[in-house]
Amino acid sequence: MKNIFYSSIKLFGIVIIAALLAVSCNFDGKKGQKASIIDTVEIDSQFIDNFAKSKLIFYSLPSPLETAMLIKRAGVVYNEEILNPIDNISKYTTNRQMALNLGIYSADLSYASLFDQTQSSLKYMANSKKLAEGLGIMDAIDENTIKRLEENMNNRDVVMDIISESFMNSNAYLTENDRPALAVMVLVGGWVEGLHIATTLSNISDDNNQKLIEKIIYQKLSLYTVLNLMETYKGSNEDINELYSKMNELRVIFDKVKIVNTSNVEAQTDPEKRLTTIKAESETFMSKEVFESLCKKVKEIRSQFIS
Amino acid sequence: MLQKLKYLFIAVVFMVSVNYSWGQCLTFAKNSCKATMGSFVHDGNYNSTILSEGETAELFKTFFEGQTYRIAISKVDDLPPIHFKVVDKTGRILFDNKDFNFQMVWDFSIESTQMLVVQMQVLERPGSKDKISGCVSVLFGLERKAK
Repeated sequence: MKNIFYSSIKLFGIVIIAALLAVSCNFDGKKGQKASIIDTVEIDSQFIDNFAKSKLIFYSLPSPLETAMLIKRAGVVYNEEILNPIDNISKYTTNRQMALNLGIYSADLSYASLFDQTQSSLKYMANSKKLAEGLGIMDAIDENTIKRLEENMNNRDVVMDIISESFMNSNAYLTENDRPALAVMVLVGGWVEGLHIATTLSNISDDNNQKLIEKIIYQKLSLYTVLNLMETYKGSNEDINELYSKMNELRVIFDKVKIVNTSNVEAQTDPEKRLTTIKAESETFMSKEVFESLCKKVKEIRSQFIS
Repeated sequence: MLQKLKYLFIAVVFMVSVNYSWGQCLTFAKNSCKATMGSFVHDGNYNSTILSEGETAELFKTFFEGQTYRIAISKVDDLPPIHFKVVDKTGRILFDNKDFNFQMVWDFSIESTQMLVVQMQVLERPGSKDKISGCVSVLFGLERKAK
């Protein structure tokens, strides 16, 4: 009888240690992290104090859907040749490749669907589903998602909702199942693909599309978010370390891009509309040489991601 | 010995329930927070966690010119209201929901691209000894037809 009790206690001990590990993994890299903000944008000391006191820090990158909307609003045309070919999917066998290219195909899917490219959108969603399955997150994008997409291809609002939900599911399932580094890779893949689409389209257009170049310049701010997001997992994950150094190469170039607020940021709130308008005067500058080296670096990194 | 086993069992149940509740934040975000998006489309990013009374969180995001964003913060019913502010990189307060009865859904029209910070704090119930914890989600909506 005594032996049974001791065996039971041993068993419970093991279960408790496993439970503790599971919980600590969930909290790892999130709660209690005093992440250091990359200090290239000027930030005052009070702000850093407040930031350091915070228990939890989120870094939100422009999602593939937001990037696609920004690109479309710049008045560009659709060009399928610049997207990651559908057939490339057979190359992606490691978790890192699958995560990066889930982000990349999500960006391609968003771009294609905003330009009402029905068949391409379905193919990119099917590829995203395969990669999600490969990463073990079957529920993120299921058969029902594909079916709903097929049935609503002519309704862009519904299509956008489906893409948004699929991306959120992938991100959330990875984050909440102790694989946050992979979730970060999905986000980074999507962001780099957005930058690739924007830089490539700006080179293709005759007038170098000034609106699009302006959007590219402001990705300097998003890059700091990317780097801070990766800081959280740097050191504990070899793939993130490598990706971080690639993003740092981009940072060296973006550091030569100037964004200056020439006035304070002002806000006007309309309580009835529950709307606050935020404005500031700002100036940007990027030389032709810097733009060319940025395009070259984005092309190089993106080629490594998709090959 | 049986008493020890009982405590161990309670500890295991507690650990598993905490772990399980993390997973439940996705369901909460999808069911409760996404409903507040209205005519906006959710950007697809997932920002949810468990916070207790008095705890704070911050979110860094670049907001792009010409786009109107909806910031929608949701919490489980039991948690007290969330105090949230939007500040610029110098810490200047651009919006404080304390001035608007702690509204947790607000729209922002951006006329100049800026990296902004959304600062949140779960308010504390006065005089309460126990602290309640629960899921808190922050979702960003994008106006479908941007200017």
